Amino acid sequence: MPAVKEIDRIDALEKVLGATLYAGDMYIEGMLYGVIVRSTRPHATISKINIKEAQYLEGVVKILSCNDIPGKKEFGIIKKDQSLLAEKKVRYVGEPVLVVVAETERLARKAAELIQIEYDDIISIHDPFTSEKAPVLIHGSGNLLSHRTVLKGDVQKGFRQSDVIVEHTYRTTWLDHAFLETEAGIGYMDNTGKLVILTSTQNVHYKRKEISRILGLPEENIRVIQATTGGGFGGKLDMTVECYVALAVYHTKKPVMIRFTREESFLSDTKRHPLYIEYKTGARRDGKIQAVEVNIIGDTGPYISYGETVCLRAAIHATGPYEVPNVHVDSRMFYTNNPISGAMRGFGVPQIAFAHESQMDEIAYALKLDPLHVRMINGLKKGSRTATSQILEASAGYIETLKRLEPYWQGRKKLKGRGFGLGSMFYGIGNTGITNPSYAHLSIAENGKIALHTGVCEIGQGSDTVLLQILCESLGVDDKNVELIRGDTDTSKDAGSTSASRQTYISGMAIYNASIKMREFLDKEEYYKGRGLKDIFLTYKEKGVPVFEGFFDPPTTALDPETSEGKPYATYAFATHMTEVEVDEITGYTKVLKVYAAHDVGKAINVRNIKGQVYGGIAMGIGFALMEEFRPGETHSLDAYYIPTSMDMPDVEVFIIEDEEPTGPFGAKGVGEPALIPQAASIVNAIKDAVDVRPFELPCHIERLKGLIESKTSK
Amino acid sequence: MKQIIILTVNNKVYEIAVAPNRTLTQVLREDLNLTGTKEGCGIGDCGACAVIMDGRPVNSCLVLAVQANGSDITTIEGIAEREKLHPVQQAFVEHGAIQCGFCTSGMIISAKSLLDKKPKPSELEIREAISGNLCRCTGYQKIVEAIMDASQKMKK
Repeated sequence: MPAVKEIDRIDALEKVLGATLYAGDMYIEGMLYGVIVRSTRPHATISKINIKEAQYLEGVVKILSCNDIPGKKEFGIIKKDQSLLAEKKVRYVGEPVLVVVAETERLARKAAELIQIEYDDIISIHDPFTSEKAPVLIHGSGNLLSHRTVLKGDVQKGFRQSDVIVEHTYRTTWLDHAFLETEAGIGYMDNTGKLVILTSTQNVHYKRKEISRILGLPEENIRVIQATTGGGFGGKLDMTVECYVALAVYHTKKPVMIRFTREESFLSDTKRHPLYIEYKTGARRDGKIQAVEVNIIGDTGPYISYGETVCLRAAIHATGPYEVPNVHVDSRMFYTNNPISGAMRGFGVPQIAFAHESQMDEIAYALKLDPLHVRMINGLKKGSRTATSQILEASAGYIETLKRLEPYWQGRKKLKGRGFGLGSMFYGIGNTGITNPSYAHLSIAENGKIALHTGVCEIGQGSDTVLLQILCESLGVDDKNVELIRGDTDTSKDAGSTSASRQTYISGMAIYNASIKMREFLDKEEYYKGRGLKDIFLTYKEKGVPVFEGFFDPPTTALDPETSEGKPYATYAFATHMTEVEVDEITGYTKVLKVYAAHDVGKAINVRNIKGQVYGGIAMGIGFALMEEFRPGETHSLDAYYIPTSMDMPDVEVFIIEDEEPTGPFGAKGVGEPALIPQAASIVNAIKDAVDVRPFELPCHIERLKGLIESKTSK
Repeated sequence: MKQIIILTVNNKVYEIAVAPNRTLTQVLREDLNLTGTKEGCGIGDCGACAVIMDGRPVNSCLVLAVQANGSDITTIEGIAEREKLHPVQQAFVEHGAIQCGFCTSGMIISAKSLLDKKPKPSELEIREAISGNLCRCTGYQKIVEAIMDASQKMKK
């Protein structure tokens, strides 16, 4: 039973009418358009820029370079290492060099094409393995961005105790978020002289900070409002258009829009990190895992973005949802002159899940044990000690996800060319080992509604609806009596980014926290005895309507720099997917037929939203496993980057497991990333079951699988 | 070098002067302010710009406005009848077949277009009809369920 009364998505009506305005739909009289001129070289110094022809084109208003930045010239979500506009050096194809501002978009693009930039090429690095010892430094500090280790017990002892050792290497490639709405924003000066930016984003408060730094203006002079956002998946966490729009408005004093074409989006959007994973697992004859040793090498591109986060998160999650007594994980991220890799749904965990789940099946095959049984006897549960030596105190429903699928697993009927595979995962909710608070506040608006102020960005996942439900349930009000005021730096405090599956859990709890205080007030004011909100508002109108602040920061600890020992997350989500595939041995084509997905979400707030996340995660997992591959310099359109269509989707059954999280709102955790993480792994294991070949590299597209099948039969 | 064209859009007739290189998407969005039609790629890959033109669903980014001269066009803004949602729209709301919403207009256009021709489609026919509409959020399942449901309700 859901804990909270379910409502329809609050944005649904406007969206089906086509009435919702996204940033790129907006229009302001007299507005200008900006286009970014980008580097065509992976690594070079700029020797000459010729803007003459473009400058004199009628309708071109301004051409902005790094010299036009009034404040700090660098930005970056974790560290400020990236030039807003390149000064002397470019480090990847697509790096912004200039911004052309013109009266029309077409004109701005035409002008951008007329600009000539001359470069002196520098040797470029495209392989993380050569990066470490390369004579060329991408930054002054060396080409290793980050090295993290996770140590527990004694792996050598663990391998000595093992009856079987399985060792394999796994590889993944770049993926693009491919949100349907490309990056877009519009900015203007309001009548108080404040610079306002409406943008497609996952984090308004972060964007305000960056604009403030770049322009050298106090944050109070800048307002960032989230426009309805057409998908994020991590790709709208980093600064995309915001600072460029702000810079153009600053210099022209006119409204300016920047929206990326699909080609620009492919060129500039951060990618999922390609990871190279060497994985060694030792187990006893009974299937109990004794030791895991993992070596992860990642390609982060030339700038940090979320590279360190992915490096650490992949390391922490490397053992999967299993209790392993002896662990040694090394995780390294190297700079290259490839595209910037950053946040993408799961921060490295989907990649590592592909590896640990393949390993679990290989252990089961080697010992002639049932893969589900091997997972069951090793699975994390309440009281287990994770690889970072965190004791799981509550809400650890992993075993339950297996039990829920067990009847389907045991009842599976294998037909020729078909196979079944399992994939499991655990995922820490929220940022890793650091404070990541959320604030919210409540009041009564003049129209007699409860005003809910939150900085949470809705990116399509449904946070608006879920947060509203949490408020209504804890306050005992109807959703029609609430006005949601969100995603605006002028009306809300920082709720942190919409990322890491954190908003239901963290911001939900902040809202819950505020509503407990407001409930007391409303009780005193006899609201629950029938007094109207408007009446209460009028009583307080003169002396000021009270504001009820809510706050939540999940209890985590910093990690030991050498062993990563500590409590990186307050809670974890758990999931298992079971997938049936059919493989055509002649062509190498894999059809995903059926997925059973079991998710421990703590407590379901909105079942339809959870299912929506799981279906969408499965689609993205199918893309990751079978078809998606971004090739630098070659992928410019959705014609060359295949994302699953309606024809690629299997029948899906979702099972919701509710092992309540005591620190979450009504017991809820998060599901956004967990929905995707185990899917590719379960497909790979099903392919192995179907045709007895194991893909060690993703995507396992037609040619790759055909090659694997052919080399098997020729043996 | 502009040309005068006549378009019937959502039952209203417009006479518009357009440059020959402008697409139907651009004219709908910029000249007629019908921004419910989205542009996700501009080259016919994603289906976000789908409209019904003379009874057929088309990607409006692949149609030059001058080619549409004399056509009868329905956009997402013309699907509901006055205050009443079209059954497909209603079903999308009820099933929660929407996440970010950027593909929604094109999806509804493709679905309506299918049901106009084939009131009782099979699930496979529905999947085929929306196979040119990319969605990155929903995994299509609830969209398919919503279209099935709408077709059931329209039969009555």
